[in-house]
Amino acid sequence: MRLQTNSQRRRFLTHSMGLGAAMALPQLVPGIALGKDGTVAPSERIIMGGIGIGSRGGYDLSCFLPQPDVRFVAVADVKANRRRDVKATIDQLNGNTECATYIDFRELLERSDIDAVLIATGPNWHATAATYAARAGKDVYCEKPCTKNISQSLLLAEVMQRSGRIFQAGTQRRNLPHFAFACELARTGRLGKLRTVYAHPAGMSANMSGWVAAEAQPPREEVDWDMYLGPAAWRPYNSGLMNAFNFEKGGGLTGGGVLEWGSHCVDLCQWAAGADKTAPVEYLPPENGRLVATYASGVKLVIREDGWLPLGSCPVRFEGDAGWVEAGDSGKMVLSSPELLAGRKVAEIGGYPATFHVRDFLDCVKSRRQPKCSAVTACYAHIACHAANIAIFLNRPLKFDPQKHEFLDDAQANRLRSEALREPWRIA
Amino acid sequence: MKRYFSYLVALVALCVVSQGPMATAQEAVSESELIAVLVSADSAKADKAITCKRLAVFGSAEAVPALAALLTDAELTSWARIALEAIPGPEASAALREAAAQTQGRTLVGIVNSIGVRQDTEAMPLLAKWLKSEDSDVAEAAAVALGRIGNLESAKILSDAFTEGTDAQRQVMSQGCVIAAETLLAKGENSTAIAMYGVVRNANVPATRKVEAVRGEILARGVDGLPLLFEQLQSPDRAMMNIGLAVARELPGTEVTKSLMAELEKMEPARRALLIFALADRGDAAALPALAAAVTDADPTVRVAAIEAMATIGDASCIAALLTATTDSEENVALAAKQTLTAMTDASVNAELVKRLQEAKGNTEMRRSLIELVGMRRIEASVPELRTAVLDAASDATIRQAALTALGETVQLDDVTVLIEQVASPKYAEDAEIAQKALLTAAVRMPDLNACAAKLSAAMRGKSNDIQRNMLNILAAMGGSGALDTVGRVAQEGDRELQDLATQLLGNWMTVDAAPILWNIAKAPKHEFRIRALRGYLRIARQFIMTPEERLAICQNAMTIIERDAERKLVLEVAGRHPDLEMLKLVVSIGQSTPALKADVTATALAIAQKLDGSDEVLALLAKIGQKTVKIEILKAVYGAGDKTKDVTGMVQKCVHGFPLITLPKSTYNVAFGGDPASGVVKKLTIDYRMDGKTGQATFAENAAIVLPMPQ
Repeated sequence: MRLQTNSQRRRFLTHSMGLGAAMALPQLVPGIALGKDGTVAPSERIIMGGIGIGSRGGYDLSCFLPQPDVRFVAVADVKANRRRDVKATIDQLNGNTECATYIDFRELLERSDIDAVLIATGPNWHATAATYAARAGKDVYCEKPCTKNISQSLLLAEVMQRSGRIFQAGTQRRNLPHFAFACELARTGRLGKLRTVYAHPAGMSANMSGWVAAEAQPPREEVDWDMYLGPAAWRPYNSGLMNAFNFEKGGGLTGGGVLEWGSHCVDLCQWAAGADKTAPVEYLPPENGRLVATYASGVKLVIREDGWLPLGSCPVRFEGDAGWVEAGDSGKMVLSSPELLAGRKVAEIGGYPATFHVRDFLDCVKSRRQPKCSAVTACYAHIACHAANIAIFLNRPLKFDPQKHEFLDDAQANRLRSEALREPWRIA
Repeated sequence: MKRYFSYLVALVALCVVSQGPMATAQEAVSESELIAVLVSADSAKADKAITCKRLAVFGSAEAVPALAALLTDAELTSWARIALEAIPGPEASAALREAAAQTQGRTLVGIVNSIGVRQDTEAMPLLAKWLKSEDSDVAEAAAVALGRIGNLESAKILSDAFTEGTDAQRQVMSQGCVIAAETLLAKGENSTAIAMYGVVRNANVPATRKVEAVRGEILARGVDGLPLLFEQLQSPDRAMMNIGLAVARELPGTEVTKSLMAELEKMEPARRALLIFALADRGDAAALPALAAAVTDADPTVRVAAIEAMATIGDASCIAALLTATTDSEENVALAAKQTLTAMTDASVNAELVKRLQEAKGNTEMRRSLIELVGMRRIEASVPELRTAVLDAASDATIRQAALTALGETVQLDDVTVLIEQVASPKYAEDAEIAQKALLTAAVRMPDLNACAAKLSAAMRGKSNDIQRNMLNILAAMGGSGALDTVGRVAQEGDRELQDLATQLLGNWMTVDAAPILWNIAKAPKHEFRIRALRGYLRIARQFIMTPEERLAICQNAMTIIERDAERKLVLEVAGRHPDLEMLKLVVSIGQSTPALKADVTATALAIAQKLDGSDEVLALLAKIGQKTVKIEILKAVYGAGDKTKDVTGMVQKCVHGFPLITLPKSTYNVAFGGDPASGVVKKLTIDYRMDGKTGQATFAENAAIVLPMPQ
């Protein structure tokens, strides 16, 4: 099935301009509804709240805020300085002082005026917060990695489907032209029979967070450590853990390794392999820096750190019988033959901006179509990463059934599919 | 005993930071040893916590009593549940049930959650009791646990409690009921599921639960749920409308598609457009008649939606309507039609477009549109029609030029001469530039580049310099050995003007086989562009994949003719990018023979030395350029901006190898230091250090080379 292009969506939404005012239901109709001065009628705006807006979230926010049909009205964060900073940014843009701040994101979710949320906490919180948001009736843009294990991946997709919410994983490369084109070449047979897809993991070792020395705990108003830990097992306050880039990434056991860039690069490989609703069925532990997984179709997924052309970070490569393509964050791609371009002019957008991905999400909030990295798509891309991590951890070959979502004849691998959440949190 | 625990803790700690040793640890530490950590009064909580996680993978019923003892510890209960949720068998389930009786509040909620994950049917009586708990968190957890168990008995418990409960209790139980119904539906218990969904959607529960229940009930009813679906699609409540659109995508069957099509006519335009998108996402071609009708809808929003839906499920039957829409008075509608005509993937589309092109001779506007379409879709079967349009003296200029562009996209090697002739001997001057672009488009995509290059080379002989320049640019864009031969020949034998262009093209050539030609030009003492060729020669060594020996040979060759420091710096750059011992020797020799380049030589040599083994030979080479090892201690390193910083001391310490230059393992600070602490802001790295006993501090702009100065 051909996906709708960004320009198509934009045109439809732009074309709906002015219709909203004639509707009995404000915001029911998708429509940017720009006025002559470029403003948007208040009834046409998507009202949003931010949850856990730190460094990456701040970048995401900078992609959302210029969109004319978005208005942020609240932020929830466990850190006082972040609440303060984000509120100041939003208030300045809105020209008032009304951006509400919350320590507990559940209070933000209780607001009926908020349509959607941006979740950019740490990976520890992503799936849990996203499902709470969906159950509260909010659409969700959630940073990656979205889940800590296979079970969370499935539950996330299940909850989004049950609640009918729009979910976009923060894998913004799906909305960059050269990556999308490379995937299209592979998916549509232009490379011949697809043989191998390659993903860069940005590390295949663990980044596990443990229980480190206790430090004096700041007051809750400054840092709410209990809310920071959230679904992660309890441990005493430690400022290093508080600010750790990888805290509980990929769960506390198998680590973030493949998941860090894999949630981008494996995701693109899944797309290229036409495997958005499945995952590889076999995983071999790394050998000489290469982890090889195999799809039921026979296509190999090779996760490797070396051997890439100098095309920037997060590279992917797709090889078929009749050609290959490699692309990276420089915005450039290299083709085995220029013939593969087929006269297409593919825009070179380097630096992996999220603006297009954010716009895709907002358009889908209005049209109720699925964005490029929906919950189901993200689910299986993450499952592939988690399964690879489990193969690394157990250091043995694994076979996986992507229909039953279980490893074959390996009880220990199956135990690693999920992990209990700290009380009172649950994903359901 | 203490010593034993120290060993074990060290082993476990090792597992926390690295996966590699885990297999070894797994073999070295038995389950009984792990249990001993849990039960020992000497064990720190941190060790017990990590041990729980290991038991989650490697533990058995043997470990359950020790784990169960931790369930009532507020700090360790979550760690214990990690293991108890995962360990198979009735012992773990029993332990959770027993511990629940001793706990309350959050701890109890956690245990109930774990009971739900384990789908422990023996816990149903307890869960029934907790449904009525005064602690709403416990009651909600119990309801969800019963929902996850999802059998007829748990459903009855939930239904009864829901019916008998107060409004407040129903609100708390509603999520569990929805999950129970969903689980039952998956098991084929549709009637029970429908009943549960119905009870929830008609109760005083949160609106979001009603939304979920409505969706579930429609899906459970199947075709019989269509009236309920239509009700949502017409609902004034946005949430209900949205769930209706979601279910319209999920509910399977052509009968459903046809019912939705009929419903379209009853809807106001805005809703109609949204439902058209849902129809497209169903992927059912049965919706095409409704889409065709919607293409002529009075409302442009509906027209655009229908046209875009055709891009997903359209076939040849849509072409007539789409071609008409390309002339729609609304610009967005016309543009959508063109894009859909380009994007449709159905196999029938191409043949239909060629047929229409053959029949469109009397209609200039339609013919031009069709020519553009067959070009954009790259339909090879259209080439005869396109060639006729180019060569026919009666062709309108706009038709001719559109056909030239389309030929660029469609022509194959056998017919590429049509385009070559239009470049080599343009029949119409106004077509020349378009023909040049079309030939470039065609040439670069030829599977047999050399055969195409031979045709271009033959065609450019005896032509004016303007024509030859055009052909050379096309050959360079193509690449391949045939193109290289021609460009190389012109670079050495052509007149000055053509040599100028050809050497520029060779200097940017994208394959290493250009190196011998560039070397020949570089060493020709009278060639006007020999310096350019030399720089291009070194570029190949700098940028392309080759063996170390081949790269060294290029650098050594170059050094035999280099006369300027600018080119010597290029050699240093090659060495810096591809460091090995031989390159270090070359760099040192440059340093010894060219004192003016001391600073560049020193930086390059130190950078190379960082990557090498610190052998006596390396140290001896560095000594030749006045460098010696120093003792460096990194005291503190902070990366970031303002108050958004991160401590990178450990990472910088790992990169110190006895020289003032510190090379990070990744090309940017953000990547090397594991993330961007202050996105969108220029950051700096500040290092406090001690060098040969003297303390100093240095600050480096983001991604700058890190060379620590000797403190005063």
